[in-house]
Amino acid sequence: MQKIEKNCALQNEKIIELAGYKKEDFSVCLGCKICASVCTVNDLSINTNPQELLSSLFLGNTIEKDNPLVRYCTNCYRCTSACPWKIRIPEVVRALREDLGIESQFEKAFKGAISIWGRVYEPYVFLMSATFMLKEGYMQYMPKWLEYISFHLPHKTKRR
Amino acid sequence: MEYGYYPGCSLTGSAHKLDVTLKKVFKKLGHTLKEIPDWNCCGAFEYGNRNELVGFSKSNLKKAEGFCNEIVAPCPACYKNLKEASKEEGKPVSILHPLDMFEYSDISSIQAKRDLKGRLFTPYYGCVLLRPEETAIKNKDIMEKVITLFGGEVDGEKVKDRCCGGNQFFINKWATERLSTLILDKTRGDLLVFCPLCHMALKTFSKNRKILYFTDMLLYLMGETNTL
Repeated sequence: MQKIEKNCALQNEKIIELAGYKKEDFSVCLGCKICASVCTVNDLSINTNPQELLSSLFLGNTIEKDNPLVRYCTNCYRCTSACPWKIRIPEVVRALREDLGIESQFEKAFKGAISIWGRVYEPYVFLMSATFMLKEGYMQYMPKWLEYISFHLPHKTKRR
Repeated sequence: MEYGYYPGCSLTGSAHKLDVTLKKVFKKLGHTLKEIPDWNCCGAFEYGNRNELVGFSKSNLKKAEGFCNEIVAPCPACYKNLKEASKEEGKPVSILHPLDMFEYSDISSIQAKRDLKGRLFTPYYGCVLLRPEETAIKNKDIMEKVITLFGGEVDGEKVKDRCCGGNQFFINKWATERLSTLILDKTRGDLLVFCPLCHMALKTFSKNRKILYFTDMLLYLMGETNTL
């Protein structure tokens, strides 16, 4: 049991580092929960408290894939802006998503285009996420998109 | 003046209109935009590994070396990523957002051919142009200033920095629909935006409301386009 807890703590430290932080950077959190009061996810009638996620990471507790913030963070940075320490919670959530291997079909296609061409080639991204978009009813928006989307051939950039 | 230009992926596709109109505005103001050769994607918000994400923009800064000292980046995500990379690298290159460049060329110097005749607009900035503070634009009310200066009326002050949910659009579209609808319901008039993602999210759920790029308004005022 102790071993599992230790592994989780180490894993959490890895996630914190992935986001460009050190564990001690979170020790300054005052627990004021102002991040919760401004969080956009709460506008979706989903109760979430980003401060709890930070303290779970700090204390070495496990964070599940279905944590509402992990699922619905919109990268709006309202939490960062309100936080007395300006902690970039959206970037911590992104690191968590990466560590938990959460990647939608669209995100996979997006990154796929970047690894092929060095840029996002939208027709490829649409094609690779077609099954998801068909299933989830995105096609109804196509007429609106076609009002302003422009098509071009892909441009391949040199390797970094 | 001549500036380096980083259009970013959206402006070559879904935000092609922003690219075209922005270039026209700059030309009209006497500036030239020179595209950075072989630029690559900035990674937007898709990478959890901060070093990997910043690496994309560091590579772009390298490509801009010797090519320009000032880079204009219209897409808020690209602008933020480039600005963070340039801070980390300590490079002398400046990353500029078009909305901040009006400090240099006074808006009142625009040779307006038309006025807005009391028409109502909601200037909507969204998230990344205004947050986090270190990378935010300086001219946080430039769209309001332009609207009122040219005879229009402003609404939506309370929601101008709320989130449209654009980042969730291709993951949980109901979330984007809910957040965009909140903004649309709490504002009046046509919406003015600068972010390609906000444009897409709001336009998708806007029904009959007009979602315009700020550059569309500038071109209209300059007499370059006849309708707005």
